[in-house]
Amino acid sequence: MSSSICLRCLKRSLVPIEASLPPTAAQRAAFSTSPSLSANPPKKKGAVGKPVVRAGKTLKLAKNKRASTVRPPAPGERKALRKRVVLSNTNALEVPGLQDLTTDNVDGGAVKGMRGTVVGLGNDTVDALRALEAFKPTQGWSLFRRPASLVRRETAELAELLQAVKESDGQGQQQVERRVVFGEKLSGKSVLLLQGMAMAYLQGWLVVHYPDAKDITIAHTSYRPVQTADGDTIYIQPHYTAQLLGNIAKANHGLLSGMRLGKQHQLPVPVQANISLARFAELGANDAELAWPVWQALWSELTAPSQPETEGLQRPPIFVGLDGVDYIMRDSAYLDGEARPVHAHDLALIRDFTNFLSGKTELPNGGMVLAATSASNRPSAPTLEHCLSRGHAEPQLPSLLAARDRLREQCTTAQSTADLDLSDIDQLLITLPTPLADQLRVFRRKLLASQGRGIFSSETIQQVCDAFQPELPRWDPYLAIDQRVADVMGRVTARKVQGLSKEEARGVMEYYARSGMLRGAVTEGLVGEKWTLAGEGIIGELEKGAVRARF
Amino acid sequence: MVFIFGVNFPESQLVSRSLQSFYGIGPSVCTKLMARFHIHQTAKIGALGDRQINDMAAELSTMTLENDLRRQLVENIKRLRDMGTYRGRRHAMSLPVRGQNTRSQVMTARKLNRVDRRG
Repeated sequence: MSSSICLRCLKRSLVPIEASLPPTAAQRAAFSTSPSLSANPPKKKGAVGKPVVRAGKTLKLAKNKRASTVRPPAPGERKALRKRVVLSNTNALEVPGLQDLTTDNVDGGAVKGMRGTVVGLGNDTVDALRALEAFKPTQGWSLFRRPASLVRRETAELAELLQAVKESDGQGQQQVERRVVFGEKLSGKSVLLLQGMAMAYLQGWLVVHYPDAKDITIAHTSYRPVQTADGDTIYIQPHYTAQLLGNIAKANHGLLSGMRLGKQHQLPVPVQANISLARFAELGANDAELAWPVWQALWSELTAPSQPETEGLQRPPIFVGLDGVDYIMRDSAYLDGEARPVHAHDLALIRDFTNFLSGKTELPNGGMVLAATSASNRPSAPTLEHCLSRGHAEPQLPSLLAARDRLREQCTTAQSTADLDLSDIDQLLITLPTPLADQLRVFRRKLLASQGRGIFSSETIQQVCDAFQPELPRWDPYLAIDQRVADVMGRVTARKVQGLSKEEARGVMEYYARSGMLRGAVTEGLVGEKWTLAGEGIIGELEKGAVRARF
Repeated sequence: MVFIFGVNFPESQLVSRSLQSFYGIGPSVCTKLMARFHIHQTAKIGALGDRQINDMAAELSTMTLENDLRRQLVENIKRLRDMGTYRGRRHAMSLPVRGQNTRSQVMTARKLNRVDRRG
């Protein structure tokens, strides 16, 4: 029989328990004066596994934490918000008696009569302009109850030009007006273009608008090379063309649906022979692959001579507008096969426009080609700038020469320089563009200095007058000129958009006041103050100073 | 997803970004490639036509990229070392190759200059 306890255990059980066990802390405490915890501190719990990430010294507050619960914006949502055009402000007052620009008052004389007043735009005009993307988000449309714009000197001039084109109808060759408007930032170039489009639309013209040349040339849309009939390589932009076709079809729907195809075109898809031009343009707008052939065919239809007696083959005059012309007068951001920059004039859409602008493509039914420069975030286009300054100075030259000749006549009768009538020279100094004004200033100084040595002699004055040969701005021969740009700009009228006159400024400020956007009475003093602060009537600055600024 | 040169790219990705993900294609080569096939700067992978994708894949397969390029690099260094050139020796010793001082900072050389360089 085995025992229930082993011998070793039995032996251990005989040793006193206290001696066999290691002394515990509590037992030792009886022999120490220091507290047990201090003598034998418990081990700190160290980090197990990874070391602790170093916490920075930055102050972290709960309020600085970003809330990440918000849904991120969908693709295109932020761009849509950025490009959103608001044309109404429900807080602004309805202006009583605000006249609209209508088909009845759109002729040259009537518009001239409305100079200095603000006129509204009718609903269908607004729709058409919106479809053409003529309103820009940076303009002040969202400040007033409904879209309205000031009729200024340049607007009246534009109306007269449209009238002249209209009246040239049926007198052999149709007139086509080609011009580029330029001017300071916020001087109203784009709105002038918009007014031109509105007037052309109301007169029953077909309106085509390239809303922003920047979008076409900065290489943000697809492109593809094609060979033209004369062997050149040009670059088509299928998606942008489709978008433009959509705009044209939408804005001119009434006109285009009354017209039909009159020629045979080679298209990649079969098209009904007598399809209306509206449906034809929509066809191109819906399919980017079809857009380019449709664009070409559409333009060949629209630039065909009108046949008013045949149903559907009547063709109206055409208004072609483009904003941001600086972008098309230089190399684009697109690259050719060898990674060299493509000149903007090699882009097919731009080439079509420059052909209209230079007159290479005829508009047999008349029309107007109007381009506006852009002064904010402007790319450098030195050739364009030169052509514009020269084109602006050229018409002023005769008045300068006439003033000189008058002076020369005076000096035969004058006894001293004090007798010379310099008032028209002083007047010209204010109105002339800078390059001519500088030369005139030197001439004036020489004229007055000619008597400096004491004796007045009419011969000296005559010599000074003869020596004064004002020169137009000349191209710096050490810079390479862009010949293609110079050729296009050769026959184009350059028109500078100046500041408003005081009367026009008063007209627009009264409109601000009647809309409830400008508090207080519009007095002579207030108009003068705002006009001066706005850089002598730069309309955008005037609006900033009078409506947007809050003190 | 679009399959280019052995890699699947999401359709929403930029073409330039996708191309530059390959070892051996940086901004310059990418610009030239895209110009060659007439792809604009902001084009997304999804917007490319089949023909453009095929042409691009064919072009990429003729180029020395990825592992081939890495191997080429290593071979070049090996060749220098086997010839016993100064540059080869400096690579083998993980020291600067182009005459830089070695008194204080040679961290980059320590990291990169080696015969079996990763790329």
